[in-house]
Amino acid sequence: MKLSRVVRWEFSQNVRSKQFLIMTIMLPAIIGIAVFAVTQAMGTEVSRSDAPPPVIIGLFLAMILFLGAFMSGVMTMYGILKEKQNRCAELMLSTVSAWELMSGKMIGLGLTGLIQVTVWGLTAYLVVGMFIPVSLASLTPVHWITYPIYFVLGFLFIASIFGTVGAAIKDIHSGGAIGIVGIIPYVPMMFTAFIVTQPNHLWVRIASFIPPFAPGVMLLRLGAAPMAESGPTSIPTWEVALSLLSLGVGTFLMMRFAAKVFEVGMLMTGKTASLKELWRWGIRGNRNRKIGGAE
Amino acid sequence: MATSVLTVDSIRKQFESVRAVDDVSFSVERGEILGFLGPNGAGKTTTIRMILGIFDPDGGTIRSGHGGAKRVEKERTGYLPEERGLYGDARVGDLLAYFAELKGLPRTEAQRRVTAWLDRFDLVDWQRSKVEKLSKGMQQKVQFIASVLHGPDLVVLDEPFSGLDPVNQDLLKEIIGDLRREGTAILLSSHQMNRVEELCDRIFLIHQGRRVLYGELDEIKESHGEHVVHLRYRGDATQLAETDGVTVRSAEQGALSLILSPQVTPDRLVRELLSDVEVLALHVDRPPLHDIFVRTIGGSDEAQ
Repeated sequence: MKLSRVVRWEFSQNVRSKQFLIMTIMLPAIIGIAVFAVTQAMGTEVSRSDAPPPVIIGLFLAMILFLGAFMSGVMTMYGILKEKQNRCAELMLSTVSAWELMSGKMIGLGLTGLIQVTVWGLTAYLVVGMFIPVSLASLTPVHWITYPIYFVLGFLFIASIFGTVGAAIKDIHSGGAIGIVGIIPYVPMMFTAFIVTQPNHLWVRIASFIPPFAPGVMLLRLGAAPMAESGPTSIPTWEVALSLLSLGVGTFLMMRFAAKVFEVGMLMTGKTASLKELWRWGIRGNRNRKIGGAE
Repeated sequence: MATSVLTVDSIRKQFESVRAVDDVSFSVERGEILGFLGPNGAGKTTTIRMILGIFDPDGGTIRSGHGGAKRVEKERTGYLPEERGLYGDARVGDLLAYFAELKGLPRTEAQRRVTAWLDRFDLVDWQRSKVEKLSKGMQQKVQFIASVLHGPDLVVLDEPFSGLDPVNQDLLKEIIGDLRREGTAILLSSHQMNRVEELCDRIFLIHQGRRVLYGELDEIKESHGEHVVHLRYRGDATQLAETDGVTVRSAEQGALSLILSPQVTPDRLVRELLSDVEVLALHVDRPPLHDIFVRTIGGSDEAQ
């Protein structure tokens, strides 16, 4: 299948890049070794404490998600921009569809990014473990199931937003108004304290169903309140299911949107879309004849 | 019996208020090179992009010949775009194998063909190099390989000779000839009229989105009815130059370049008009495609 071939290509090209090697292997290794050496030299006493509550783990995951997805998103944006600039797009689109190319790129780069954050997470786990005993014992099976799904979908969603931006701008200096949309998924992080203390507040519940906010909100919410059928401080199962469904559908639609923008944008290398044009490109793609274009 | 590999039937495409392609129809046969010509902005690239499925026409149909009413399959076409570009940081061999696999070749077969083609273009030593390390001409050859490596039925070549040195131009010409012999249908778009004359069986001339000429190259030349004469002489050629139906293209000391209108046949030229001068060298031919192009495009512009 073409899509899986594109995914493999993008993945293998990026895993082999120097940038990936430095960020994923060398940086965590240096930090890990440095911390290990310091603790050995100073003979720090490992303090005893209880396992951290899920909310800390949820917060940690949300932070690592947003950091990792941001970096991976920027990489996707560059990748797509480069595709437009090196004029390879025309050749690619005579072979694969814009959807196959874009989703393949986003998934391939997303996988690289996931490997990256997994390495970071493990490093952090090991480094922190040198000072305080870290245990994941407080996580319930529900957390083990939902956290990875939110993480992966959130990752892809953010990558596809950045992918859309990359497809719509003419060079890296002209993000402008469009770049703003890239920060939408980050908004819940500003309300961390609120979400953690009032996980079932009406606004928090509503935000759980809005795809761009869902990963941030739910990673925090699930940490703060157990999921159960009833109870004032628990999250009903249907809410989690609905939130996941809307995030899944939202991610798919966002990736489609990015592909359509790319379909139009790649043939207009000299132009950055305005927000209005972005909307038009993304909804109608090339099937609409009211798009501008070269010869 | 010629069989069409591609049939384009009255396709149209509009961009905002500009009618980029308007009611264009043609076909490309197996083992044929169709020259696809037109001035800049005539709608060539738009037509090519529709043929390759990069975007859809607003109206009309594009079918692949071998199955009848089927859409053109991306696996069965190859494309060398005018705007050259490859992934700079990928390795030459990997990149070509990737393209071939996307076109549906199994991995081992893709690799085998990559080596064979690189060998043919004398690039085997560069197989493991990054694309960006290659010279422009080499990248061009790599890109050409990408367009033909999977053995497509239809190859669209947009300015394939630009940027190549004369040795490589000859090599490319030879390879294009081989492809035609093997039965590949080739759509060749170029502004290099001498190349088009050397290679193409038929031409399609598009101007302002519409067809202005379409047919066998020889017939088109024939139908223009004119001849171009290159003459080196001794004596006085004033009378010849002033004859009705004879136009002087250029005149130098002892050399004339003339255009004969249809009523002045080469036969009449030799029998009647050259009696005043001593002919040192004489060359009579149909007008070059260049002239036909310029005249046809110029004429249709004036007509508006």
